[in-house]
Amino acid sequence: MGFILANLKFIPHVLLTQSVFHSLSPLACSHMCPGGANDHVVPIAGVKDYCFIVLHLRCIINMALIQTTFKTQRKTRHGVHYKRLRALLKDPRHDCVLFANEFQQNCYCPRDKGESQEKWHTRCVYNAAVWYFNHLAGLRPVVMLAEDCDTISEFNALNSGVYVISTQEYLASFWPDLQGAQELYNSIAQTLLERESEEMEKVYAEHLPAEVLEAGIKSGRYIQGILSVNKHRAQHEAFVRYEGSTNKNSELNSDVLLNGAKHRNRAVHGDMVVVELLPRNEWKGRTTALTEGQGEERTMEDTQSQPMATGRVVGILQRNWRDYVASFPPLEEVQSQSRNSQKILLIPWDYRIPKIRISTQQAVALQDCRVIVRLDSWESTSMYPNGHCVRVMGKSGELETEIQTILLENCIHVSAFSEAQLREMPVNTKENPWHMDSCEVSSRRDLRNTHLVFSIDPKGCEDVDDTLSVRTLPGGNRLELGVHIADVTHFVKEGSLTDLEARSRGTTYYLADRRYDMLPSVLSADLCSLLGGVDRYALSVLWELDANSLDACKVWYGRTLIRSSYQLHYELAQSLLNGEEAEVPELSQLKGSQRDQKLGELLQALETLTRVARHLRAQRDKGGALELEGVEVRAQLDEDKNITALVPRQPLEVHETVAECMIYANHWVARKIQESFPHQALLRHHPPPKQEYFNHLIESAKARGFSIDTRSNRALADSLEWAMDPQDPLVNRLLRMMATQAMSNALYFSTGACPEEQYYHYGLALDRYTHFTSPIRRYADVVVHRLLMAAIQLEKEGSLSMALAGNRELEELSQQINNKNRAAQHAQKQSTELFQCLYFKDKDPHTDERCVADAVIYAVRANGFLIFVPQYGLKGAVYLKDRDGQVVSISRDGKCEWNAGTLQRYPDKISTRTSTGTHTFYLFDHVTVRISVKPSGCHADTLCLELINSKPHRATQPESKPAGRGRSELVQEVVRWAEEASLHAEEKKGRKSKLSREERQFRQSKTPNLYVILQEISELALQDLSACQITNTEEQMCTSSS
Amino acid sequence: MAGLELLSDQGYRLDGRKAPELRKVQARMSVFAQADGSAYLEQGNTKALAVVYGPHETRGSRSKSLHDRAVINCQYSMATFSTAERKRRPHGDRKSSEMSLHLKQTFEAAVLTQLYPRSQIDIYVKILQADGGNYSACVNAATLALVDAGIPMRDYVCACTAGFVEETPLADLCHVEESGGGTSLSLALLPRSGNIALLQMDARLHQDHLDTLIEAAMTACKGLSKVLDSVVRQHLKEVSVLTRD
Repeated sequence: MGFILANLKFIPHVLLTQSVFHSLSPLACSHMCPGGANDHVVPIAGVKDYCFIVLHLRCIINMALIQTTFKTQRKTRHGVHYKRLRALLKDPRHDCVLFANEFQQNCYCPRDKGESQEKWHTRCVYNAAVWYFNHLAGLRPVVMLAEDCDTISEFNALNSGVYVISTQEYLASFWPDLQGAQELYNSIAQTLLERESEEMEKVYAEHLPAEVLEAGIKSGRYIQGILSVNKHRAQHEAFVRYEGSTNKNSELNSDVLLNGAKHRNRAVHGDMVVVELLPRNEWKGRTTALTEGQGEERTMEDTQSQPMATGRVVGILQRNWRDYVASFPPLEEVQSQSRNSQKILLIPWDYRIPKIRISTQQAVALQDCRVIVRLDSWESTSMYPNGHCVRVMGKSGELETEIQTILLENCIHVSAFSEAQLREMPVNTKENPWHMDSCEVSSRRDLRNTHLVFSIDPKGCEDVDDTLSVRTLPGGNRLELGVHIADVTHFVKEGSLTDLEARSRGTTYYLADRRYDMLPSVLSADLCSLLGGVDRYALSVLWELDANSLDACKVWYGRTLIRSSYQLHYELAQSLLNGEEAEVPELSQLKGSQRDQKLGELLQALETLTRVARHLRAQRDKGGALELEGVEVRAQLDEDKNITALVPRQPLEVHETVAECMIYANHWVARKIQESFPHQALLRHHPPPKQEYFNHLIESAKARGFSIDTRSNRALADSLEWAMDPQDPLVNRLLRMMATQAMSNALYFSTGACPEEQYYHYGLALDRYTHFTSPIRRYADVVVHRLLMAAIQLEKEGSLSMALAGNRELEELSQQINNKNRAAQHAQKQSTELFQCLYFKDKDPHTDERCVADAVIYAVRANGFLIFVPQYGLKGAVYLKDRDGQVVSISRDGKCEWNAGTLQRYPDKISTRTSTGTHTFYLFDHVTVRISVKPSGCHADTLCLELINSKPHRATQPESKPAGRGRSELVQEVVRWAEEASLHAEEKKGRKSKLSREERQFRQSKTPNLYVILQEISELALQDLSACQITNTEEQMCTSSS
Repeated sequence: MAGLELLSDQGYRLDGRKAPELRKVQARMSVFAQADGSAYLEQGNTKALAVVYGPHETRGSRSKSLHDRAVINCQYSMATFSTAERKRRPHGDRKSSEMSLHLKQTFEAAVLTQLYPRSQIDIYVKILQADGGNYSACVNAATLALVDAGIPMRDYVCACTAGFVEETPLADLCHVEESGGGTSLSLALLPRSGNIALLQMDARLHQDHLDTLIEAAMTACKGLSKVLDSVVRQHLKEVSVLTRD
């Protein structure tokens, strides 16, 4: 479809007939568009450029853009529209072409004497439209869009086949069904009309012209960077992050602070801005006090940190405006606002975005709705930016609206796969089952009869993209370890529609209650998925390992045929390894000795695998691999999508075993493709973190008497291993969390774009790493698969049959995947938070026991502290001082009251002083908090944590073993808490236990099964009697006090 | 501000050319009657004038003359009005003396100097309008002037520049493309033998790309040689028509 009309310059006698046209735009036929789909629209530039916004709608396809238009857009308004138009052209789904009319002999027209530029451009476009019409031999009408009436009346009558009409007319006559587009158009038109009529005094300073900015940046007078607004103090604090190395004054190595709206000068979060530093005596520090959400107007001179570089925005290089979700303010505000005009200030969902002014008459009707708003402009005379409403999303507070909001705010666009994409897919139905191609069978290495292949995945997993095999080679000196990955690239050819869609999605999006697949389900859940008992194509890496030293002697990469014998899940594999009785579904048919033999084979393979994985892990540990800790909670849902429990993730050793094999495969593939294509391989690196980010970790550890060495990953891993408090395992977990927070994310990159020293993966301690093992759900893996296949071909045949993507292209792609991954992570996190709120929403915080939980202090601020709630995996702020200046006072039994008093903050503790006495909270203290939901109409609901007791909620289990408490035990404890919590919840429901689909998927049954009971017994055995007694008494105390 | 887009997504350059396309080349020979040979050449908007005197006895000190071959003396200059900003350009500035040296080396490789021992050939070139590829325009014009003067050469000397933008080699750069900060490679070729008379590149370029770039420049030179050849033949036709009468 890379059809560019301008190519015709060189084959001027070819005429496009109807049939050719259809073959060129297959999407046009499949799309369920009204009759207008067959026209070509020729839009015209200049007059009022906003008409492009309408044309950007997904359903408008088959458009020819004219170069003149395109070029003018480039010059105006920071190229915002130019960027959009370019994206439009690049997106194959729109099926748009660019016609380079100025380079075409018959279309070019020189500018007449005294002709205005606008007129000349209009004439150029019209000429092109006429030529285009004749070029199509008059077979189909050409529509040219214009905005002003003079143009329309001047040109419309000139030629019978070329219609010059306004955008409004076009939408009305050709797309009558598209209500949304027309509303959008009207809203833009109205905004524009009003903008012209208004004149006000200036609120902000004017931006400097681009030349001055550029010169200033070069001379070092100005600093260029991306604006990022502090989420918690959106109105006051924003920072500018440095870009590039143009920084001449080396004293400035941190961000630049922008204080207040005036200094921010109309810049919006994400914009590329130019700032000028203020004189040193005007520098300010960043606020260290906690504030709730939207910053209230409060002066907190006393709570500021050291003054830092402060500046003001003098110009904006590039606006990075996207679509924002916003909601209407409460009704009374609307009425007071709308008295003088029809404008309404919408409150964006994202705290960091300023209020947006739009014009609408539907304010009352859309009172509780969330709408999508696009920013148009921000004049220096206006306090707030102007925007227009694009689409109504739905009532706020509804699950569907909230989920859509999260997706949109992260710029994730997922729609169902189009028919054309699905048509590319192979068929596998009952009537028409899919068969392997005999040609493929002969060209692949057949492992079906020689290797015992099995997969280990979460329970109920549909997209199995990795399988494993391990066997002893004849002779007994060598082991053969195999990782077999679904051969997605066999089905998804480069450049196909499915490929393009997957590329633009970048990854599969997992939200708390649903997922959006990267590939159509016929691939992701069926033909690519390495299910048990069926023949599948795979891409394998096979290592020959020395049986004793377990070092790799030989590696083989290639396409294979496999048949997975066992589709295990983690819990099953773990219980097999633990030697417990477990039912393997694949063996339930067999009986007696045959079954024992098969089970023995599987067990041996699992044991060997564990041994190999332990060895690999130990090797990486030697290199300095880090064990990091993140908070992962999963919301358990029942059939009606109600949340039944929040469960932290439960790690088992077999998780690590599988992960280790995958890391090993990724590493070796990275080596292979990097060696074959030193300048255009897609790798993944993890840059070492900046030392100053570790300050919080080091300080916190010091509070407990541990010293953390952060000079290298090895040192960090070791010192984290040592920083173990035998009394409180959570300390180590929190320290590991802080270490994780200090680090940056791992990123994909193209090897040509980075010097070789930067290939290193800090977290995994590997010199080269990539992603290879999950091609069904990550696009990077698909790219790596193609690279690996090319590398194999290069080795075998010495040449490549297909050109590879160049370094630049690959770097662009990796940036895109990085962005999508980040968006996916944010979306996942936000959806988890959403479900956390939903979980607590229907519970009364004062009566429901589940709303009271134990928490650990992990950071101290000026007016409160930050806590971590291990039971629910929550983090949040607790205030010790309220708006009226009252502070929390602690009575003798630990209960909290609000009283007049003062707060004193130290690096590692904070104390409250009131008339009743003084209480000091230390870092890593356990306290009891009450969790409640703070509803917010315009933003996402947040959880509110309130201190109710300065003592631990449930006395933490004292350890019988004094030291050396390993991670797995810690994990077990967390798991047990979760089990208890969910059991508790179950009992409350009167044992109306119904197993939801999710529960069947991820967990064993809820009734106390053998596994749980055994685990509980083994835990009990570890506690000594006295400790149990203490626990009991304390628990009684807690219950009696609450 | 985003830089200029030297190569659009559709594969067009700023002036509407495709990547391997040359600018329009027009030339005339024997533009001056007094000189032994002369030529005027336009390569797009770059305009060059070349004048050749000789072979004649060496002027000035005898010591300069070589006993086994002729000395080639080149002088390059730019008209004051040739660029966007008017500048006085004295002859001795570094850029033009370097250019003179390059021209000298180029033509020493092409002219059969051993036929004229102890003599001298003067080549004077002047850029009337500079729009990128000054060196190549000079070489091409001087070749025509040498042909016009009847000085025996191994082959035409054709020169062309090539640049590298977005992994694509661009042939025959114009001024905007040259000053865009990218690579620019000048190459003078004896097209029939494929020998390179001069190759010059100042900017950084990855080694992997060098071959493709040279390849592109050589193709461009070969295209140019066809144009030059047709100019010479056309000129001969005109001259022979005149002399027949």
